[in-house]
Amino acid sequence: MIETVEVAEVLTTPFNESIVNLLDLSSRAIKAEGASVLLPEGEEGDLVFKWACGSVSDSLIGVTVPSGKGIAGFVYTTGQPMAVSDAERETNFYSEVDRNTGFSTHTILATPLHFDGDVTGVLEYVNREGDPPYEPFTSEEMDLAALYADAVASLVHAYTSADLLGEFSRRMLEGADGEGSRDVESFLADLEGSEEHKDRIRLAELVRRASSLGEKERELCENILESFVRYRNGGH
Amino acid sequence: MEIADLTSSGERFSAPGIAARFDENWKECTGRGVSIAIVDSGIDISHTALQGKIRSSSEAFREGKRIVFRDSESGDAAGHGTACAGVVLAIAPDAEIHSIKVLGSAGIGDGDSFLAGLEFAIKQRHRIINLSLGTTKPQYAAPLRDLLDRAYLAGCIVVSAANNLPQPSFPSVFSSSLIAVSKATEQDPFKFGFRFGEVIEMTAPGVNVRTTWTGNSHKTVTGNSFACPHISAVLALLLDRYPEMTPFQAKSALFAISKAASTD
Repeated sequence: MIETVEVAEVLTTPFNESIVNLLDLSSRAIKAEGASVLLPEGEEGDLVFKWACGSVSDSLIGVTVPSGKGIAGFVYTTGQPMAVSDAERETNFYSEVDRNTGFSTHTILATPLHFDGDVTGVLEYVNREGDPPYEPFTSEEMDLAALYADAVASLVHAYTSADLLGEFSRRMLEGADGEGSRDVESFLADLEGSEEHKDRIRLAELVRRASSLGEKERELCENILESFVRYRNGGH
Repeated sequence: MEIADLTSSGERFSAPGIAARFDENWKECTGRGVSIAIVDSGIDISHTALQGKIRSSSEAFREGKRIVFRDSESGDAAGHGTACAGVVLAIAPDAEIHSIKVLGSAGIGDGDSFLAGLEFAIKQRHRIINLSLGTTKPQYAAPLRDLLDRAYLAGCIVVSAANNLPQPSFPSVFSSSLIAVSKATEQDPFKFGFRFGEVIEMTAPGVNVRTTWTGNSHKTVTGNSFACPHISAVLALLLDRYPEMTPFQAKSALFAISKAASTD
């Protein structure tokens, strides 16, 4: 039951973190001030900022780009990457986003996220670090962004699958009815409020982070934990 | 130069000898009388730089299971077609541009409408068909290949933008029946590259290209999408000079010109 309740968070958190880490890493490589991932939402084809890194990332998350608008809409519609070096003159979308976030967009590099033949979103890099005049994004940086986009697209797909799985689990629980269901809900409510449960989740998260550091780190982590358990069980 | 000379003998392809036979008058041409279909997101015909230059605007509509084309007044859904038209007209100002809107039109914008737009352009027998877009969906590969064969036989020269993504993009990978283009940093529109043996054979200016944009503005853009119309425009000049040029001859001419430029 613990696994079922926490499945959405446990499954999606690693992907969330990995996507933001990759955005951060790639924006450094591309010498951009910030990066973001936009995914389609709704039937109209609007795009929503889902992940971002950079100075205004918090205020960017959740902002919607209307269908076909802005460089992101352009790239999503055509499936073709592009860069714009004078984005501050953009009349239809970025001026509005900039007003809302206090950001000033002057250069953009956007490339589509492809998965299984479909355009699934847009990876966007904005601005150069430093002072004007800002260098435009280069052809080589555009090619590099395409490689990062491939990795981001895979992570986004994994995130989406995990999110769906979590949602599926939640609905399964909600769909159960009758006395048994109320007992389960009561049990889960107690469980979620317990300090022991919270401690276990924290420990699981710690193990997950340690194991993501590398093969040797995973081995070391495993050895330490096994030694500890053997010691507590009175083994050798 | 006679175009037949360019294609009649394998040994004559040895640049720069062949290029020396190629007169340069075509560079003074304007693309007059040459029809170019831009299969894309539509074109903003109200842009002051494009007014009077767009001969027709058609748009894909779904009728039941069929996709039909009617006159369009909806302009450009994304700016892409407007940018491509600007690149063409900067080099071939008298070319006859025909907008075929397949992206962001009436709620459709998928591979089906893309295919239908290409087929529509072939039926209209436009001399040049500019495809600054593509699809990575493998199910469209075979029908696109069939359409490209039809275009070739109809004398339509199809120019397609590569994508610079790890996945193959159709139709740009079908190098035998179209002219595929990727971006280069070169700014001179007549200094394009030909990389025989590569899937994407041609390179053309596509970095920091100043072109028309929606909202009656201009932008400086980078991408293969903008290299593609450079080659379409160069072909318009060549077809203005040599109206009988076939798709095969067109590619041969581009090869010869690029080799000559690289040995200058």
